[in-house]
Amino acid sequence: MGGACYVYPDSPATPDRVTPDVTFERTIYMNGSVRMDDGRNITVWGFTDSGGGMGGMGGMGGPFPSPAIRVREGQIVHTVLNNPGMMWLHTIHHHGIEPSTMNDGVGHTSFDVQGTYTYQWRAAHAGTYFYHCHTNTVLHAEMGMYGALIVDPPEGPGRVFSGGPSYDVEAIWACDEFDSRWHNLPWDAATCGGDAGLNDLNPDYFIITGVDGNRSALTAPGVAVTMNRGQTLLVRYINAGYYPQRIRFGGLTGQVVSSDGRPLPAPVTVSEINSVSAERYDVIFNPDSSGVYTVEIEYLDWIDGSVLGMARTRITVN
Amino acid sequence: MPYDSFMTNLLNNNYHNDYHNKNNIHFSTTTTCLPILQIMLSLSAAIDGRSKTTKGVYMQRRDFLKFSTLGLAGSVTGLGTFLSWSPRANAATIDQTFYITDGMRTQADGIDVWFQAYSSTSTGLDYPAQSMIVQEGDTVNITIHNTLGTTHSFVIDGLVDSGDIPGGTSTTVSFLAGSAGSYLFYDRVNLPYNRLTGLHGGLAIMPKNSSNEIYAGSPTFKQQLFWLYNDIDPAWHDAIRQGRTPTSKFKPRYFHINGISARPPGSTNYTDPTKNAFYDPRSQISGKIGDRTLLRVLNAGMCVHSMHWHGNHLEWITRNGQPRAQIWKKDVIALENNMGKVDVIYPFEPPPDAWPPVTSGQQYVMHLHDEMTQTAGGGLYQFGAATLIKFK
Ligand SMILES: [Cu+2]
Ligand SMILES: [Cu+2]
Repeated sequence: MGGACYVYPDSPATPDRVTPDVTFERTIYMNGSVRMDDGRNITVWGFTDSGGGMGGMGGMGGPFPSPAIRVREGQIVHTVLNNPGMMWLHTIHHHGIEPSTMNDGVGHTSFDVQGTYTYQWRAAHAGTYFYHCHTNTVLHAEMGMYGALIVDPPEGPGRVFSGGPSYDVEAIWACDEFDSRWHNLPWDAATCGGDAGLNDLNPDYFIITGVDGNRSALTAPGVAVTMNRGQTLLVRYINAGYYPQRIRFGGLTGQVVSSDGRPLPAPVTVSEINSVSAERYDVIFNPDSSGVYTVEIEYLDWIDGSVLGMARTRITVN
Repeated sequence: MPYDSFMTNLLNNNYHNDYHNKNNIHFSTTTTCLPILQIMLSLSAAIDGRSKTTKGVYMQRRDFLKFSTLGLAGSVTGLGTFLSWSPRANAATIDQTFYITDGMRTQADGIDVWFQAYSSTSTGLDYPAQSMIVQEGDTVNITIHNTLGTTHSFVIDGLVDSGDIPGGTSTTVSFLAGSAGSYLFYDRVNLPYNRLTGLHGGLAIMPKNSSNEIYAGSPTFKQQLFWLYNDIDPAWHDAIRQGRTPTSKFKPRYFHINGISARPPGSTNYTDPTKNAFYDPRSQISGKIGDRTLLRVLNAGMCVHSMHWHGNHLEWITRNGQPRAQIWKKDVIALENNMGKVDVIYPFEPPPDAWPPVTSGQQYVMHLHDEMTQTAGGGLYQFGAATLIKFK
């Protein structure tokens, strides 16, 4: 790995290790690919679920976004990061989860994982989070090294948090932008200096939960929502990009009930939300008329607020 | 178009929409590309003493911990720390003198960039200015000596406007400290250029006879810091230094909190609190459980930012000077550009998801999550706008 600077490889034993309630295994892949609506394949990196004995070097790429981590409030969790070999360094930071420093997955306050490390933490608050790599983060998160992290209340999925609203249908929309020029850089790009242009993101693709928001996300299973009148929809909206976003719910009005893994003191009624990088909003919808509602996410320039691009999906109410 | 107000949809019952729009700057969006690299010095020679780690000589975690201990020691001596404040029963008269000065500051990649500042001495370059703290009802007299050849001013929106202070002249402005809160003082001449290139600072107005509130009746805190963010496009600084109006599109290459960037373990000046925002006592949050820390956050720069804290969720108390209708607990809080501001409290609660529980001996990062800001000169991850949070 030649010229990497300011990285801190280690694979210590997990301090005060206990038997967990639930374990997730994650292995790195750096040869993934996402096919865009214009036919281009863009390289992505991420985590595969290696829990089924299918671990190793991930020669077949992997899913984008990375597989969700879903736990229940109160559970002690082990997230095992397997990063074998000496090829590259990565971490897992459970964004919004607040564990000890050793388990926070930030390279320069603890270590970058070379080998295997088991992150140990206990899910204290139900809500929407995400996990992502925190090594040369500017590049690694842009390359797609993230996945959803959902903490359900102790009673399990179906309720946002204990005492909070219940839901019948759930959507997880992780909205991200790609600058395809960044996607050919090496894992340690410019860590020793030099200008890799990492201060200047010029996105050319706009994505909802791994799917091109130009066309595909309008109908992609797992992104587009189909529900019946009388049902309750929970949208877990994650700003997984770097630029500010504005999400409009296609004329539907919802209730924001929690954000960043914490209930709001009182729900707030919205038809659109402005967000910045890594914010999460949990929005409840009870549509009372059938129809097709086109949800639009605008990606906004951080300087002049101009719309850099848009991703779209649909809520179809039968 | 200026960046739209955040969350107007969510919070407009308590948000005075025109306040911020009024202060947003309409700037040129010409896309003429000025060759930024033209003004760069030799990059290869410039990287200040980074440790070129190759396989086998990586810095190990143990070494890091050693470094961090040194850094902590450095941070508690010399520079003072949290803003100190003792409340008074009566109003007072506060006199403050600033010298408008300029000079070069070497960035993390070794490039020198020109700044101007409201300095405390005629020979200094206090970018940003030393922050001020007064009390509601105080009379504040500020004398400004403009040591430069160019015209400047001293403005606090809603409180004072010096008008033009020509080069080589001095002026004194007086104002009554109004509503409690966090304010940016800045130079309105040639807006936004003089503000961007360093002429700004923070003024805290405490409620009358209170040492622990942002405004009367607000949630309380035990200690407080000013965080002033700025985004640096050296091509713009160079143009402004030469008296030209920047014509290139604004492309920031350095990202500052209180005038400097962070530097990771193993870098030169890692332990120097005057050069490393991780250990800058004006920026680093350090405390024990219960040491609720108020952060008065002001954005002197042109970019909207996403602030992200590790270790604890924050209480988001005000936005652009207005108490929020609801206080939310967030791990990410938006900071609008062009003088956007928030007051937030880092509560120093035990990190909720630690197992087994921890209450001390932890350190976390605060960093901007628009990760372009975590770089310097287009690379050098971790040399950006970030600081440390220490659970003592
Ligand atoms: Cu990584
Ligand atoms: Cu994050």
